[in-house]
Amino acid sequence: MTASIASPRAALPIATSGLIAIALLAFIWLLADGSNEGRVFSYSLASGALFGLLLQRSRFCFFCVTRDFVERRIPDGLLGLLAALAVGTLGYHAVFGAFLPDPSGGRLPPDAHIGPLSWVLALAATLFGLGMAISGSCISAHLYRLGEGNFASLAALTGALLGFALGFLSWNPLYLAALQEAPVLWLPGRVGYGGSLLLQLALLGALAAWLLRYRQAGTASGTQGLWSLLFGARWPTWVGGVLIGGLAVLAYFRVAPLGVTAELGSLARTGADSLGWLPERLEGLDGFSGCATMVKETLLSNNGLFVIGLVIAAWASALAAGDFRPSSGAPRDWLRGLLGGVLLGWGSLLALGCTVGTLLSGVMAGAVSGWVFGLFCLVGIVLGLKLRPLLRLG
Amino acid sequence: MTIKTLFGAGLLAAATLLHTLTAQAASDYLVSTEWLEKNLKDPKVRIIEVSVVPGVYERGHIPGAVNFAWHSDLVDPVRRDIASQEAFQQLLRKAGVNDDSTTILYGDNNNWFAAWGAWVFDVYGVDNVKLLDGGRAKWEAEGRQLDSRASTPKAGNVTVQAANKDLRAFLPDVLAAAEKRSDVQLVDIRSPDEYNGKVFAPQGVQELAVRAGHVPGAVNVPWGQAVAADGTFKSAEELKKVYAAVGIDGSKPIITYCRIGERSSHTWFALKKILGYDVRNYDGSWTEYGNAVGVPVVNLAGTVWGGK
Repeated sequence: MTASIASPRAALPIATSGLIAIALLAFIWLLADGSNEGRVFSYSLASGALFGLLLQRSRFCFFCVTRDFVERRIPDGLLGLLAALAVGTLGYHAVFGAFLPDPSGGRLPPDAHIGPLSWVLALAATLFGLGMAISGSCISAHLYRLGEGNFASLAALTGALLGFALGFLSWNPLYLAALQEAPVLWLPGRVGYGGSLLLQLALLGALAAWLLRYRQAGTASGTQGLWSLLFGARWPTWVGGVLIGGLAVLAYFRVAPLGVTAELGSLARTGADSLGWLPERLEGLDGFSGCATMVKETLLSNNGLFVIGLVIAAWASALAAGDFRPSSGAPRDWLRGLLGGVLLGWGSLLALGCTVGTLLSGVMAGAVSGWVFGLFCLVGIVLGLKLRPLLRLG
Repeated sequence: MTIKTLFGAGLLAAATLLHTLTAQAASDYLVSTEWLEKNLKDPKVRIIEVSVVPGVYERGHIPGAVNFAWHSDLVDPVRRDIASQEAFQQLLRKAGVNDDSTTILYGDNNNWFAAWGAWVFDVYGVDNVKLLDGGRAKWEAEGRQLDSRASTPKAGNVTVQAANKDLRAFLPDVLAAAEKRSDVQLVDIRSPDEYNGKVFAPQGVQELAVRAGHVPGAVNVPWGQAVAADGTFKSAEELKKVYAAVGIDGSKPIITYCRIGERSSHTWFALKKILGYDVRNYDGSWTEYGNAVGVPVVNLAGTVWGGK
């Protein structure tokens, strides 16, 4: 540990990382000006930063972990995802019990990402999965990889903005064709909190048991000291998963469910609106709970600060761990980023969120829409992996 | 006893008196945040939050408060009307309201929907209903405690009466006032731009009326003129002055209206409960009147709907 800090080549990035961390903390401090809004802003930035750190340290990338298993039968990453879902399910149900003591009354808990079930969701999730396979990650992973210096992720994020605009344009016909009458299925509303908790944990447990059969003998990591434990090798994904599950519950309890597309979607909506592209009304869009978009009127927003915190903390963390490798990428990377990004944006608008907002925050909340999104996302990824050689993506 | 101790005792007595005076709310129908905090544990006190923004109640409310959703609990979800007598009684019983309860209503946005709730309580003849002066904003600003666990009180036994139509104004009542067939004063509490017909609805709100302007004869007193800087109602004396300035002095019956009837409940509360005037709230408000066929309208700005 001392050796890595003492070497002059490592000292500069670590010092920079420290400065970024201090600046981030100062910003969090300043935002909390005593007003309600200020406290929520501050909390959003802090939880975004924590999310970025956890994503970066445990390489919590939905596409990478799925690909690891599909192509190499390494289940560790997916097990991390299941750990996040299990911890989040426990916490969400505990919070729900406080927020809405009687789940059977036909009401839904406030803000929880419980979406409509229809073929549009399946289509959106498949498009999103394809977009992940083509662009190389989901939206949250593009954000943390941007912090690691992977500037080609900017192309994917730009593509996502275009995809959102496409989503707004295709929204009205799809809403009238399917979404308006689609059922919104919330497990606790059907089987109570206890039933939903048992059902979800049994499902997650069964999936984990199946994945564990593929577990390969791990290499014992020789970590010494706190620094190398935190910023040495990547954390086991399950550690990241457990912590992300906890963070998801705290974020929902205080501000809103985890999600990374509300701000991106709002930027796209504001841009498209000012260009006059949007239809006069987006039917019913703002009535669904999920990663809600709006035409922006103020600079700062909860989700905007969350995303900024995510990218900056991932940057600081990557610097400290020696994972910061700035690369502009080949033109082909930018092109596939843009192309995949369009699918990511389009899919996450139609599904009212991405792998974070609809899959993580949805499944934890006992939303059937979260499970359906996850299933069809997997279909999209598998399809996309088959497409990759054709697109010469390797 | 020396003069010094006498003086000290007098000062103390004066201070106590002053303290009770400030702690006491401006009306029998208002309670202060301080009073409510002291009476949180009183089993006779039932607290109900009626906020506009969803999720606000769940992430922190006044301990023991029950949540009413204005768009589903207090209205008929299908036809445009307030909740039915049966539904309202069931709602109150579920919230633990008894015949001898004192119900305290509060909410966000300056108690707009809490005041609207108070009006629905009034229509159904439920007594002992008060507003928390200053609402949620004042409670929070003073750093008082919040709870995020929803309470499920023991069912209450309150019996509500049939809706009292005399407390509610309908379109024919407003039309009669507009056409001077009745001696009723109309108070339009919307913004001057809505009143003058420059806009059909305030910023950020859908345009739900196809005509702009106001009901002939209505005076414009925006709801905000009834509140002090900290969000509490102005004193009865100040309120009297505000409304007397436009000729509303309680000598004639009054009808208040706004866009959908909720902000006007706030003014209804000030005029009816604090000043004791004879007031009805027109909950159809401009979204009904501004769409009604053949009724007289004053549109000073001359805005034409659908026109270029």
